[in-house]
Amino acid sequence: MDAVEKANTARQKRWVKDRKVGEGTYAVVYQGREASTSRKVAIKKIKVGQFKDGLDMSAIREVKYLRELHHQNVIELLDVFSSKTNLNLVLEFLDSDLEMIIQDRSLVFLPADIKAWMAMTLRGLEFCHRNFMLHRDLKPNNLLIASDGQLKIADFGLARDFADPGHKMTCQVITRWYRPPELLFGCRYYSSAVDIWSVGCIFAELMLRTPYLPGESDMDQLKTIFRALGTPTEEDWPGHTKLPDYVPVGQFPRTPLRDLFTAASGDTLNLLSRFLVYEPRRRINARDALNHAYFFALPHPSHPSKLPKPAAQTSRPLEELDGNVDIASAGPGVKAVAPNKLKRKLTSPDGTDLRPLARRLDFTQHVKRS
Amino acid sequence: MSNRASVGGWLKGKTVRKGGITSNAHTARSSTPQVQSTSSTLFSGGVKDASGRTTEYFSMDDQCPVCKSDRYLNPKLRLLVSSCYHKMCESCIDRLFTLGPAPCPICQKVLRKLAFTPQTFEDLTVEKEIAVRRRIAKEFNKRREDFIDLRSYNDYLEEVEDITFNLINDVDIPQTEARILAHRQENAALIELNVQREEQYVQALKEQEELERQEKEQRALELRREQEIEREERETAQREIIDRLETSTKSAAKVIAKSRAEAMKRSSARSTTTTVLRSNAQLLRARAAQSTVVPDPPHVPLQDDWYAYEDLYTIRDQYDDMYSDAVRKDREGIMRAGGYRVEEAWDRALRCAVAGLDLVPLSGLKPSPGRTDSVVTST
Amino acid sequence: MAADKAADLQTNLNSLTVKRPLYEGSTQYKSWRYSPEQLEQVRTSLNAAAVAVIRDTFEADEPGSSEDVLFLNANEEQLLVKLYITKVPQLCGHFRFPEEVEATAISYLKRFYLKNTVMDWHPKNVMLTALFLATKTTNNPISLESYTSNIPKTSSSDVLDLEFLVSQSLNFEFAVWHAHRALWGIWLDLQSLPDVPEDLRPQDIYDIAIKHVRASRFTDAELIYTPSQIALASLTLASPVLAEKWADLKAVAGAAQPLSATLDPTLELIKYIIMQMGHPPDVEAVREVDRRLKLCKNPEKVPGSKAYIARQAAEHRRAEEKRNKKAEDVRRAGTDGGNPFGSELNEDEKAKQLAELDDDDD
Repeated sequence: MDAVEKANTARQKRWVKDRKVGEGTYAVVYQGREASTSRKVAIKKIKVGQFKDGLDMSAIREVKYLRELHHQNVIELLDVFSSKTNLNLVLEFLDSDLEMIIQDRSLVFLPADIKAWMAMTLRGLEFCHRNFMLHRDLKPNNLLIASDGQLKIADFGLARDFADPGHKMTCQVITRWYRPPELLFGCRYYSSAVDIWSVGCIFAELMLRTPYLPGESDMDQLKTIFRALGTPTEEDWPGHTKLPDYVPVGQFPRTPLRDLFTAASGDTLNLLSRFLVYEPRRRINARDALNHAYFFALPHPSHPSKLPKPAAQTSRPLEELDGNVDIASAGPGVKAVAPNKLKRKLTSPDGTDLRPLARRLDFTQHVKRS
Repeated sequence: MSNRASVGGWLKGKTVRKGGITSNAHTARSSTPQVQSTSSTLFSGGVKDASGRTTEYFSMDDQCPVCKSDRYLNPKLRLLVSSCYHKMCESCIDRLFTLGPAPCPICQKVLRKLAFTPQTFEDLTVEKEIAVRRRIAKEFNKRREDFIDLRSYNDYLEEVEDITFNLINDVDIPQTEARILAHRQENAALIELNVQREEQYVQALKEQEELERQEKEQRALELRREQEIEREERETAQREIIDRLETSTKSAAKVIAKSRAEAMKRSSARSTTTTVLRSNAQLLRARAAQSTVVPDPPHVPLQDDWYAYEDLYTIRDQYDDMYSDAVRKDREGIMRAGGYRVEEAWDRALRCAVAGLDLVPLSGLKPSPGRTDSVVTST
Repeated sequence: MAADKAADLQTNLNSLTVKRPLYEGSTQYKSWRYSPEQLEQVRTSLNAAAVAVIRDTFEADEPGSSEDVLFLNANEEQLLVKLYITKVPQLCGHFRFPEEVEATAISYLKRFYLKNTVMDWHPKNVMLTALFLATKTTNNPISLESYTSNIPKTSSSDVLDLEFLVSQSLNFEFAVWHAHRALWGIWLDLQSLPDVPEDLRPQDIYDIAIKHVRASRFTDAELIYTPSQIALASLTLASPVLAEKWADLKAVAGAAQPLSATLDPTLELIKYIIMQMGHPPDVEAVREVDRRLKLCKNPEKVPGSKAYIARQAAEHRRAEEKRNKKAEDVRRAGTDGGNPFGSELNEDEKAKQLAELDDDDD
């Protein structure tokens, strides 16, 4: 037997798949464990060899970055092995994600909880950026929550290195509601500030318990943003009218954030407004955000162990999850690399949508993967 | 967003300044009934937020239990709550209590005009619970450090919870009041001492109030969203009926009946999702108990132990750099406007230039510590 | 004030914990760093193992047939790999791929042959696959069709068939730190030196240094030394004065012990490697090796050969047996035990088996 094959078999034996917890068109997720320790893990099996251009880009990105990043607030890739032509990623098992928590109406958030989640998100993101890596798909359902309350950034299927000078990047990244205006204007040269905008949207969503900027199409997204934050002027954002896909979408006045976030403290609103600055170069970066007064003011961020989490999530059998197999919320530590490629039955068999309210919003409109 | 902006503020409950002066909330529409107090300086109280404002509960279904006047007849109807937690409208209050204390028309407890407060929560028991808890918190302000062990502290907490329960549910009121009085006398000194710790307590209270307001806001948002969805569904359903009538060969009556049935199913599915948020007070209590066990440490911005060679280089504002000519020229300004930062690429190059510079190369046949998969040579 | 306190705490935390340098968290450091002796050993033992296997296969096919075969030795294998390494820049120039792609593909190629031998997998196809894979891992993807149509006599299966094997051999560790980026960084940082006027660092010094970095790619340097060390050695070859000034500056910042004490011998070795081995191999010599390779290739890896077909059939049979056995087990688990609904355990067991079965199906 080849050395490579032999090493692979040894790896494969370390892990046991217990049950399937989700399936998509090109990835299957299992709950499993480490054979020697019984430590719970999630095993994401990516079907390879069915794409005309070979190994899929999102699989490559995910493996490439998770192999390098080791941080408390980034999901840990424990091992990689192959079975036949399948790529298996062994990931730490995580109970739930922030989207589930936001939507769980039985949970009450204290301001200190929101502060703790924000700090953990920013720490994970700062580490990505410190490693010159853009995540490009931050949203509540990519922020997974461990049983000890730690938040972990997951789904690196759209991640990439910071671009070298003059190199173009695709603007078809980041789920629409969390996508910054420069990408909506078709900008091909951007920076870590794109992830920061997403963080701002998540921050707002944690306070509102509902998505802050839920545009219905790319064009509507811009309008939604401008309605909320006012149409930018040349002074707010020099040069934005020169961006490739710039179109005027109407003049909207800037309404104070205070009007919507009536309960938020001054520090909170200040930080929020600095995440949502139009000019990307003036947007706060992750490190400065972590040093913002908001985090030092009372109340202290909640200890992770005290953060609200959905009740009895892990013990729920799969069938009860909205009556369909849904990798994104089934609770394993991973989601399929490209959720848009997954079967997500959003309605029950008779065509009636029985899911809770907030989930009625369209989650199927994911960005095109590039 | 369009939904959010166009829905009037009245569903949310109006924001009323202390003293009852109406604020023209940003979302108010002209058709929105305005809260206007007839005796504007009289009623204060209710649950205030940090800026001293009171968010008042307000519903289109309001009706005064005393005179039966409702919002349909009197758009300016404003209901207030008595200290015995009964609602009545301002004109009844004026009528009954202007001449002095008088019995409550519902439970006969003697009331004064000044003791009416605006209603904050739809559910008056929540209103009452908050008032009771606030009162009890003032009397029973002992802390963990005032007890010799956790057990006696727990006993104390249990007693407090017991008293609170009694007051909320009107159980053994005279005995309970006596217990409170006894406690006050026994612990006068300690209570006084704990007043000095008031600052922190106030902070906690502020938090709680913030939370309460958030909850309310949340509820309103949810309501608005639901309304919007309902409206959309109605419209789609109507459109569908028209479409089906156009295309279907079935009788018009059947098509309409089928669509109606579907709409019914939708609305019943929805009704199960709305009546949550009930036991928030309980949840809060659980969280409060928890926070005495695990303390929240102050924020530490970065907690990892990675070293990024920061001390080995200092990045400059500008470099003479052949690789970033394109960025420097950028005549259209599109790279700048898009937020591209050549500094980030420079930073990466600089880090790469110093990373591992002092690393001693491996020598000999010792396996490197990090490598896990040794090359297997047997076959 | 709270901020001050937390800042203090952070400083304390910093001084208490030993910080790990980021480079040492990379897979490059953890999995692909060798001593020259280790490299030698890995290659000889891989070679010996391959020779043993192929000899057996020959004998099984026809006893006595392996006696006259002149198998390649580890050095000859290396020579062939090196030839195909030199093809990468040519292809990259043709496609106008960024330097990142070129350097990454070369790293992949070298790493692949630390896990495999050329007698199993010919470097021509591995090179094409490594390059195609590198375009994807560095985010410069092109379609397979435009890739193969621009390379004569190449089909898409030449590229794709090995993609999984290459990825597997790389341990799915795709990120690579490169010396050319380190050189760019040094070049920028030279501008922070207080006493270096612009005319002391003319463009042609950089141009010479980058040539040495590119030459280092033909060698084992990146498997032994860090990118920054290779970049600095390349600069030393172009301008010893500049290189020394810069290194001195870093030495001051580094404190503890003078950097030059450990760095100087390292730089000397890298310079030696670049000068001695940083050039394409002699084509005639390689041609001879390639001719002999045709005779000693592992027949199991040559599609169409008797041994290849036999191996395929055996594998197929094994998989089939396994699948049948599992299907049988599952069936039995469903019916045995007397309980028509199956015990709890049975259900779990069944799910597990089904999951494994599924695993084998594709």
